[in-house]
Amino acid sequence: MQRQRQNSQSFPLSLAHASMEFRPRNYSAELESHALPRVHAGAHPLSAPPSPLVQVDVIHCENTDFFDPLRGTGNEAKAAPPDHDNLNEASDHQPTKEWTSFRRLLMQRFPVSKMVSVSSMPDVLMRSGKLHEKSSTNIHLEELDDPQKFADEGVKTITWQEYVSRLHELKDEITRSWLAEDRVTSLKLSIKVAKLLMDTSVFEFYPTLFVLVTDIMDMLGNLVWQRIKQKTEFSEDGALRCNLAENFQARDICADAKETCYNWFNKIGAVQELLPRLYLELAILPCWRFLNDQPLDSLKRLVKMIRGLGDPVASAYCRLYMAHCAQKLPSHDIGYLVTCVNDFRVILMQILSANERTCKNIKLDKKLQVTLMEPTIEYIMKCIFNGLSQRQVNEALSELGLMKNQQDLGSISCVSIILHHLLKEVPIEVVSSNVVQILHLIEFSKDNSFDQHMNYRLLGFRLYERKSPVNIVNVVLDKVIKVIALYDSLDEYLKVVDAYTDLILQNKMDNHLNTILEGISKRAWNKGVTEDEMPSLQSLVVKILFHFKCLENVFSLDQFPEILDAMYGKSQDVVFLHILNMATRNGPISDLTSIQLLFEISQNLHDNLELTNGRDDDGQVTRSISRFVHMVDYGADMERHLAFLVDCRGAFGRLNELKETLVHTSNSLAIKALKCAQKHLSFVKSCVTFSEVTIPSISAHRQFDLFLETAEIAFLGGLVSHSDGLIDSAISCLHIFDVIDGFQTPNDVEGLVSSIRKLCGLLIIVPGTFSLPVTYFPNNLFTFISSRSWFEPKMRTQIFSAIILLLTTLSQKRLPYHANTQIPGNDVLYYGDLSYNQELVSLSKLILENLLSVVQQEPSQAARGIMALEACNCIASSFMLNNELSSVCLRLIETAKACLSAQNRYLQSTIQLLNKQLPAAVGTMPMVSTSV
Amino acid sequence: MSVELKLSRSNRMYRPSEALEGKIIVKTHSSISHYGIRLTVKGTVNLQVRGGSAGVVESFYGVIKPIPIVNRTIEVKSSGKIAPGTSEMPFSLNLRQRDENLERFYETFHGANISIQYLVTVDISRGYLHKTLSATVEFIVESDKADLLQRPLSPEMVIFYITQDTQRHPLLPELKSGGFRVTGKISTQCSLSSPINGELTVEASAVPIHSIYLQLFRVESILLGEKIVTETSLVQTTQIADGDVCRNLTLPIYVILPRLLTCPTTLAGPFSIEFKVAIVISFQSELSKLHKKSDPKTPRLWLAMETLPLELVRTK
Repeated sequence: MQRQRQNSQSFPLSLAHASMEFRPRNYSAELESHALPRVHAGAHPLSAPPSPLVQVDVIHCENTDFFDPLRGTGNEAKAAPPDHDNLNEASDHQPTKEWTSFRRLLMQRFPVSKMVSVSSMPDVLMRSGKLHEKSSTNIHLEELDDPQKFADEGVKTITWQEYVSRLHELKDEITRSWLAEDRVTSLKLSIKVAKLLMDTSVFEFYPTLFVLVTDIMDMLGNLVWQRIKQKTEFSEDGALRCNLAENFQARDICADAKETCYNWFNKIGAVQELLPRLYLELAILPCWRFLNDQPLDSLKRLVKMIRGLGDPVASAYCRLYMAHCAQKLPSHDIGYLVTCVNDFRVILMQILSANERTCKNIKLDKKLQVTLMEPTIEYIMKCIFNGLSQRQVNEALSELGLMKNQQDLGSISCVSIILHHLLKEVPIEVVSSNVVQILHLIEFSKDNSFDQHMNYRLLGFRLYERKSPVNIVNVVLDKVIKVIALYDSLDEYLKVVDAYTDLILQNKMDNHLNTILEGISKRAWNKGVTEDEMPSLQSLVVKILFHFKCLENVFSLDQFPEILDAMYGKSQDVVFLHILNMATRNGPISDLTSIQLLFEISQNLHDNLELTNGRDDDGQVTRSISRFVHMVDYGADMERHLAFLVDCRGAFGRLNELKETLVHTSNSLAIKALKCAQKHLSFVKSCVTFSEVTIPSISAHRQFDLFLETAEIAFLGGLVSHSDGLIDSAISCLHIFDVIDGFQTPNDVEGLVSSIRKLCGLLIIVPGTFSLPVTYFPNNLFTFISSRSWFEPKMRTQIFSAIILLLTTLSQKRLPYHANTQIPGNDVLYYGDLSYNQELVSLSKLILENLLSVVQQEPSQAARGIMALEACNCIASSFMLNNELSSVCLRLIETAKACLSAQNRYLQSTIQLLNKQLPAAVGTMPMVSTSV
Repeated sequence: MSVELKLSRSNRMYRPSEALEGKIIVKTHSSISHYGIRLTVKGTVNLQVRGGSAGVVESFYGVIKPIPIVNRTIEVKSSGKIAPGTSEMPFSLNLRQRDENLERFYETFHGANISIQYLVTVDISRGYLHKTLSATVEFIVESDKADLLQRPLSPEMVIFYITQDTQRHPLLPELKSGGFRVTGKISTQCSLSSPINGELTVEASAVPIHSIYLQLFRVESILLGEKIVTETSLVQTTQIADGDVCRNLTLPIYVILPRLLTCPTTLAGPFSIEFKVAIVISFQSELSKLHKKSDPKTPRLWLAMETLPLELVRTK
């Protein structure tokens, strides 16, 4: 013993000659002694706690960054600008969030083609075009002949990157001159920049150009504002004179500052061309506040001056800029915006009536013009109805000429595109209280600026925003159904009907529902459904599906199956998926027709996956089909159920996860059969066989668990040899892990270890057979794991410990649990057999040796400590601690102490256990001091 | 060594009854001795008649003597020395002498043939051996409030209409046949401190409109012997409509009067300064592209116009 102690400093320790004896266990007594005392709980731990107030944070995920069309191309325009960003930040008039995102959307709405054609090349775009200083009289003379309008014939082109980068340069130049106190140059350059907006022949580029130019205008406006404000607040020598209040009056401004301000308006007023003059005055519009207390008067004049811009697109964007600049004024007045909209109407009517007269090639341009103008109308409408009271809304509407007496409705004319955006912005109360009038307006505004059916559609959506009275819905639907009955195009029909579906369903208007379904199916039957119409149809069908609780009701609708048949492609998939989810929402499915239908739908979905070679990206289809298979219930007809599973296996070969469901379902079928009074043993056998055959085609890392599960079922059914075969398959399928890379995420590893432990638990009740040695499975498992290098020390420790505990259990007189009375356990078969015990001991010894050496292989200190304790616990609970084993335990504790802190709870409890079980000869170990 | 004049007001505007104030700033490295620092205020009406345009013989050119308005010199400092460094000498000088009320202080005006200008000059004379140091600055004179028109501006506007029949020059045939009608009103008496106001409506036009603009002209007349030489020249063009505007929408006329280039309408003996406005409609025409630069006053086939007198006044 003395000698052994000296040797013992080094592991592994040979236990070849050590005598080992399993510790006898009394499991039922241990269970009782270890069971925690049960205390009655007042509340269910899973019951909902009294919920604290849920605060919903509105997340503004909107990226307010300026959308720079060049950012992607890595163009030179990215060249770092001077510090004008700082200048901008210092300003009082930060662009509103709405404006920033509106600008971004505007540019995205009109993607720019590579080349921009300009009717003439403005010299400001020429890179070489240095600004020559000219005397003011020279400039005046030159401005007499309008160079833009009288330029040479022929369209010139410039790449838009070049155009945009030149504008960025100009912005920098303006800032530079301003900082160099050369404000006249800044103004001159700004005028030139504003002039660029005179050329609307750039078409789709115009909105982008507008955004870029107004960015520069805003910057100049801010600079001027800052300068005058500073002149007011500071005297010439830089001393602070006063702090200008937010709501200052013109009389607070000193004469000097007023003079400067007046000069700016004077200089801008001298610009000959109307458009740049307007843009510049709008840019410095807030500065009117320095001169008088009625800056709105200027707005009233400016809105009329914009009428002088003959080009509809140019004037529309100028109005847009006005709406933006007016928001910088403190007072909120919408009179000028109403004038804007009325002017829009006149202009649009003129465009539209011209359409009829002029030749065809212009027609395309007119369409494009209207498209370009649309966002400006949209924005101005938004500005009008933003935060208005009911009374103000009515006033605005009557000023727009829309809310006259109920009698002369017919005489009201409106342009449909204006009506559309009006309808979009008007408060919902106004919509529902004036619905008859609105219907009339829609009916009478039928022009080319906007498709009439889209206005009917919008009305439907608006009415659904809030619960509308049934009588109103009735009036509208009667009218709308009548109107769309005349539509020939399925697309238009669907667009309108889709918007009203919710209303129809909400109010349970079955007659209307039937009408529209019939209408759809008639039109679909006539011409088929095109790709473009599919989304509307899909949206409509999904709405109907959402509305009905149960599938039978949906399918009992006239025409519904026909409509479903007319669908194809992605939309069909979406609808099928909805049907599938709906069917599996409420408990088991036992109706045979439903099962058949859903099976076909699933098959369709599956085949479409195959067809498009598309992966089921988010696993939705797989999940839904699996759920369907899971929910199917044939009741007592289990044979038929199994046959269904066989069909599924054949039909859904592509879906791996589904096969897993199939195995689970067949296993639970087997259980169900076992529970029946008369045991259908042959049926159970069929189920097990089905599972056994199915498992190998499932992905490798799931196989082990499934084999195990099936083995358990087989065992439960008394099919011992089946069960043995399945366990064998399980162990040998571990081989597959060899070839799988990257499976070893911590979760997978833990899962595998716990599955192997579970196998050990099962092996307790699996009786040995005559043909195989009793330690056949544990030995196989051990050999396999030892031979695989990818099992890490930690995994090995856990698995080896589990096998040792298994062997210990097998040695007991009475096993802790049995399968059932028909299958005798090993305790009954072998207890007392010396060779049996010998076999268990020798394998235990071998494994223990390996276990001890594995502990020392662990590189991480903390992990090594834990592993040592695990091994120690395993030894202490498995064997009688003779001297050899005691010293092994002590050394393991030493290792743990070296690796872990003395306070470690696991360490302390292990020491306690050892103290209890060590024979007196070895003596007790000192408790690790817990004092700090 | 430098001398500089700095006036008390940043806009350099003074009225005749006020004192011209400011300071003389001398920067020098060494001390300077001088024989006196004098300040001279000089106001003149400069007249010139350019040859060809007025149809007068070229020999007349430049023979007209300027009309003096004011010419006065004061001594700011008698002879002495200026210390090295920067020295500032404030000054104050009444423009109008109390006893002599004969001078008429016309408002500053920079025209084509007539220019009314006020200058203040500082001279530091340093004997015969050294150059006299001097500096000159222009200041601007506006009429005294007391001298201003007492009656209020007439709010009346003149109504105009322009059609193919009101034009006295030949028009394009399509204009003649298609016809057009532009109506509106405009103020004919206007304060210099407020814009020209009015409105304009295109009621009809068969030919698309290219542009509508308002031209401000000055009419300068000079008495030359027995003759009066009058020349009309353009001061400023302001576009009111760009492109073929909507019919029957009222467009405002709003023109801020440029400083220095305008002054109150003046009818003096030897000269007069008057103004007028022209509303010019330019129609879309291929012809117009051929004449890129043209005299704004020349009537063209594609232009229609209406000229109206404009009286400018200084108000309180």
